Amino acid sequence: MRRRPGIGGLQTAAAARDQYRLLGENVAKIRTDLMKEQLTTFRTQLEDFARKHKNDIRKNPAFRSQFHEMCAKIGVDPLASNKGFWAELLGIGDFYYELGVQIVDICLATRSLNGGLINLQELCTLLCQRRKAARDSVSEDDCLRAISKLKVLGSGFEVISVGKKKLVRSVPTELNKDHNEILELAQAQGYVTVEEVERRFSWPSGRATDALETLLEEGLAMIDDGHRDSKRRYWFPCVSVSASA
Amino acid sequence: MQKLGDFKLPQFFNYPPYFTLQPVRDTREKQVQLWKELIIDYCKTQKIFVIGIEEEFPLFTNQVIERFLSHEAKETFLSALVSEGRAEWMDKGHKRCLILWHRIQEWADLIMRFVKETGLEDSVMTIEEIRSGIESRGTELHGMDRTVLTRALKLLEQKGKAAIFKGSSADDEGVKFSA
Repeated sequence: MRRRPGIGGLQTAAAARDQYRLLGENVAKIRTDLMKEQLTTFRTQLEDFARKHKNDIRKNPAFRSQFHEMCAKIGVDPLASNKGFWAELLGIGDFYYELGVQIVDICLATRSLNGGLINLQELCTLLCQRRKAARDSVSEDDCLRAISKLKVLGSGFEVISVGKKKLVRSVPTELNKDHNEILELAQAQGYVTVEEVERRFSWPSGRATDALETLLEEGLAMIDDGHRDSKRRYWFPCVSVSASA
Repeated sequence: MQKLGDFKLPQFFNYPPYFTLQPVRDTREKQVQLWKELIIDYCKTQKIFVIGIEEEFPLFTNQVIERFLSHEAKETFLSALVSEGRAEWMDKGHKRCLILWHRIQEWADLIMRFVKETGLEDSVMTIEEIRSGIESRGTELHGMDRTVLTRALKLLEQKGKAAIFKGSSADDEGVKFSA
């Protein structure tokens, strides 16, 4: 026997829907509350941690880097804003702004020596020398973080990798692939000759000379005609250690 | 850090390209600037007043990296000092260069300070005494170049602060200071 649709059936269905909705809302609410609670706990824990290890974070570059890594994993950026509890708690925002200013300063001061391309390692050494008074040491990781903050200014600060080395670029020069390859080759001895470049990359003679001339004009290379074999050497202050006075 | 006697050499002294004149303007300017400072510094600490461009000069050769300055480079760096008033060519051929890490006026001031500090106003000294006497020992005036000293004294004479007397020989030229 077939049952006909009746008002009773409709009412039952509506009541069931209501029940489900109510239940769903409840579950969602419980979840949100739980989440909120967890977040609060998490935040307190993180704050506690930061407070407890405040000195380590400020003084020890390795620890600081690990702390950043941890924050990055859980999606917290202590540098995102200078306001807020991180800055108040750690003064960490200020620290990187300060580094940023000092990095800009060093890049400008050494620009005429290296053409606006400086070895990250050397930048770090110079930075430590300058900050002697501040006494907390600075790692390359800190430099990278500070530079990434500088990008916001659109001033063309960038870190480029050439071979194994990282170079910090403070001029808007575009280096093409040829230039990068030459810089990489130069890392071995600090210089290259036209022959070396041609032999190593099997370039036609004009290509090597062209690229080297460009690097020379940009102030990234310096010529040296003083060697006994009287072959011109192109030196690159940005890849040789301690070329800057 | 490499040294020349007791003189500390700057980093760039060990970087070969600084011994070749750089063709690019900005780079060259920096290069000239660094060499100018080095020359003045070195001459001042070593009390060298004259650089002979064709003679051996320890600063212009770096044995360690086997580089030396060409004649053209030496002349460029010294000429840059000349144009700043920190040096003077002593001949037309630009073979000898007088290095003035203090300008003549500054030397004259130093002499007057020395005279005041030692209470030698109104007394007579020979030029040799100023250069090598006991009174000037330990001051910058000790061992100073005779030409530079004479010129500084002449400047003081023009200003009425000193009077130079000719002696029978160059050795006993005298000078009387007035405060």
